[in-house]
Amino acid sequence: MSNKKTSLKDFSQKEGQLVNLDASKFLPLPPPYDKIEDLPTIKPLSESAQEKYECDLDGITAFKFPRPETDEEKKEMIEKFLSGLQKLFDREDNWTFMQPLFLTMEYCAKCQTCSAACPVYKESGGIDIYRPTYRSDILRRLYKKYVKGGGKFFSKISGNDIDVTWRMIARLMELSYRCTICRRCAQTCPIGADNGLVTRELRKIFSQEMGIAVEPLHKKGSVLQLQSGSSTGMTPAAYLDNIEFLEEEVEERVGMKFNWPMDKEGADILLIHNAGEFLAWPENPEAFAIILEKAGISYTLSSELVAYDGVNYGVWYDDVQFAKVALKHLAVAKKLGVKKIVLGECGHAHKALTVIADRVMPGELNVPRESSVTLLRDIIKEGRLNLDKSRNDEYHVTLHDPCNMVRLMGIVEPQREILRAVVNNFREMEPHGVHNYCCGGGSGFAITQDLNFPDWRHALSSRIKMRQILDTYQDIIGPEHKKYVCAPCSNCKGAIRDMFVAYNTFERCNMLYGGLVELIVNAMTDFDKEYIEWEWH
Amino acid sequence: MGLLQLLSYFAILLFIVVVTAKMVKIARMPLHLRWDLYPIPHEKGRGSYGGSYFEEVDWWTKPMNFSLISEISAMAKEIILVQSVYHNNRSLWIFSFPFHFGMYCLIGFMVMLVAGAIFQATGVVIGSDSPNTLAVIIFHLTKIFGLVGWVLSIIGGIGLFFSRLFRAEMRNASVISDYTNLLLLLAVFISGLAAAFTVDSNYVALRGFVQSLITLKPAGVLPGAVTVQLWLWAALMIYFPYTHMTHLFGKYFTYHKVRWEDAPNIKGSKIEATVNKALGYKINWSAPHIKTGATWAEAATEETAKDE
Ligand code: SF4
Ligand code: SF4
Repeated sequence: MSNKKTSLKDFSQKEGQLVNLDASKFLPLPPPYDKIEDLPTIKPLSESAQEKYECDLDGITAFKFPRPETDEEKKEMIEKFLSGLQKLFDREDNWTFMQPLFLTMEYCAKCQTCSAACPVYKESGGIDIYRPTYRSDILRRLYKKYVKGGGKFFSKISGNDIDVTWRMIARLMELSYRCTICRRCAQTCPIGADNGLVTRELRKIFSQEMGIAVEPLHKKGSVLQLQSGSSTGMTPAAYLDNIEFLEEEVEERVGMKFNWPMDKEGADILLIHNAGEFLAWPENPEAFAIILEKAGISYTLSSELVAYDGVNYGVWYDDVQFAKVALKHLAVAKKLGVKKIVLGECGHAHKALTVIADRVMPGELNVPRESSVTLLRDIIKEGRLNLDKSRNDEYHVTLHDPCNMVRLMGIVEPQREILRAVVNNFREMEPHGVHNYCCGGGSGFAITQDLNFPDWRHALSSRIKMRQILDTYQDIIGPEHKKYVCAPCSNCKGAIRDMFVAYNTFERCNMLYGGLVELIVNAMTDFDKEYIEWEWH
Repeated sequence: MGLLQLLSYFAILLFIVVVTAKMVKIARMPLHLRWDLYPIPHEKGRGSYGGSYFEEVDWWTKPMNFSLISEISAMAKEIILVQSVYHNNRSLWIFSFPFHFGMYCLIGFMVMLVAGAIFQATGVVIGSDSPNTLAVIIFHLTKIFGLVGWVLSIIGGIGLFFSRLFRAEMRNASVISDYTNLLLLLAVFISGLAAAFTVDSNYVALRGFVQSLITLKPAGVLPGAVTVQLWLWAALMIYFPYTHMTHLFGKYFTYHKVRWEDAPNIKGSKIEATVNKALGYKINWSAPHIKTGATWAEAATEETAKDE
């Protein structure tokens, strides 16, 4: 059976794996990755995993959902799913997104303009189930049959009918995790329908009604964050230890000795980083500390539960978890009496707290929030740092735009103004800005490291980013040139890090990734030593 | 009054009632969380590259620069030129553009027909030799809008029909009604063109029928081709409000109330009051991590409350 067409009947009824991924059909990459045998492969799940977990969509599992065994279990699964479906269209249960969802359900004209915009669908060589409208069509039919009602006759004659089976639900669950919610499709839709939103709403049925969510997002994500303070599992005490360690490291790296402001009431700014930075890329929060110290900014970090981790995974799958984390962030800022919250280099934290949280907060928690890139841009513009951009001359820098900051927030120019001020060899990738492509790690993909899901991510959802980066550097792709992919977002960095490892880009192309502030500090003339440690990557 | 006339009243009334009810229903849905999508054209000085007020430090203290001109120009390009399809799906645009543009002409055609009928009802003759200049203009505009409208929408409609049939991606996504919708529209347009070319080249019969509708008087005898066309129009108007074709109106919401809706929640604002009210809604989701039956505000502060 061809992957180019998968009937809904098969989707809901066919036994066994629905689609077999064939890497030879994926779009070829530019040199030096133009030979398929040099590319990372998607490893099949072990037999025991296949037996245990539902993976009948495409042989991949993100949910690790145990197959239902008894008829009772299957029946319950269907009942719960349908009750969740009803709630998606209820004005109280889903006041948060009912209107945009309803509009998408009602108005799609099936023109498929969105298909060409979707990196996953395109790079897969056009696998039908990855088409942006595929999941929307399923939800639309379910909505027409079970929510709108009265249209059973019409839906039969118009071919809109659908059978709900446990298989369909299980496959739809996995399918809701084959889209990064980058909303590039929505951007091109003439009607204004939003297939990315559909993905998120589907995940809500699973999480908010059925209690099923991808583990790194929920159990080891937002739940852990609310309980122990951070989705990394770092408790407040461990966090404080960490900061002490980073203070020492800053002294070693640049010879500056100072205490990082912590829980300082009445500071102007509460700075919130993605806590993953402290563990995976400490040079990033360190660079922030150096810049803000040098610029004399009044700010503080917080060591309160949740408030030292800017992540808010609910933004990808669950409105209630989202609101819990967002309100906690705001409550801490309120308690500290800061004038505003500033978000470190984390795209989804930006959008979550600045944009989406705007309408889940009670009036008294309305503390203004903004991006750190605008603050950094102003610091540089006002000449508060001593900069010499030739200090970055050995790097050819390109910028990856995190979807959340550009397409979903409209922060496009400040990061470029910064780069122009600290780098000579800067080149844009195409397309960029609001028309960028996702790193492939969006909507939780970057932190989903179980079984063969990362293989799928490297081969498909990140593939377009790999292509763009290679295209950008084609003329200097050899290892004699150092290439720095600047990604001002922890999540994007995570995805790009894993992708670069999978493709072995350091050895083959002398290519690394990093944040924005590292380049700023590297351009500062206050220090003799280079801040970026290329060989120690 | 004949059956056709009664049916026409019914079709028009149903169209207005059902479309209005749907729009009111959408407008009254709760204020959703922000889900803006850039570029937003009304961001003055920034819309062209997709920037927003978030590019400013302390953005909440600065005036919101709203450019109505850019917003209207973006709307015009989208509505008249179907710009997003032009940029992202050129091979479909070749048909989508004439199809939509043709239909706008047909709306102009209807407006001219109604205007002409009103003139006629007051005794003014509509024709190229009418002593009333406005009546002459209406006469010619009716013919121009009609001809351009019929021809473009037929060409576009046939192109869209075959694109749907032959382009695998579109075919895979289509259901039977996607084809029948187009066929119904095409039937209306082709019957209109056929009537104009055969028995009603100056739209005298059609205008007469519109006049009878407006004046609530029985219509005279109509040529067969015009009758066929009118039956098809009535069928379309009855069916149309139940289909996605009402995106004509729905796009107002998808653009202005979702994609381009970037109003921040400012202290003491109407948005704040609306949000406070929504936080009082009961939550019925039943996953274990949710406090089912509590209000949104209670459920969202469950963990915070525990710490205190
Ligand atoms: S979502 Fe938009 S672009 Fe995609 S098929 Fe529907 S109307 Fe067309
Ligand atoms: S949101 Fe992004 S990944 Fe998801 S369907 Fe749309 S374009 Fe594809």
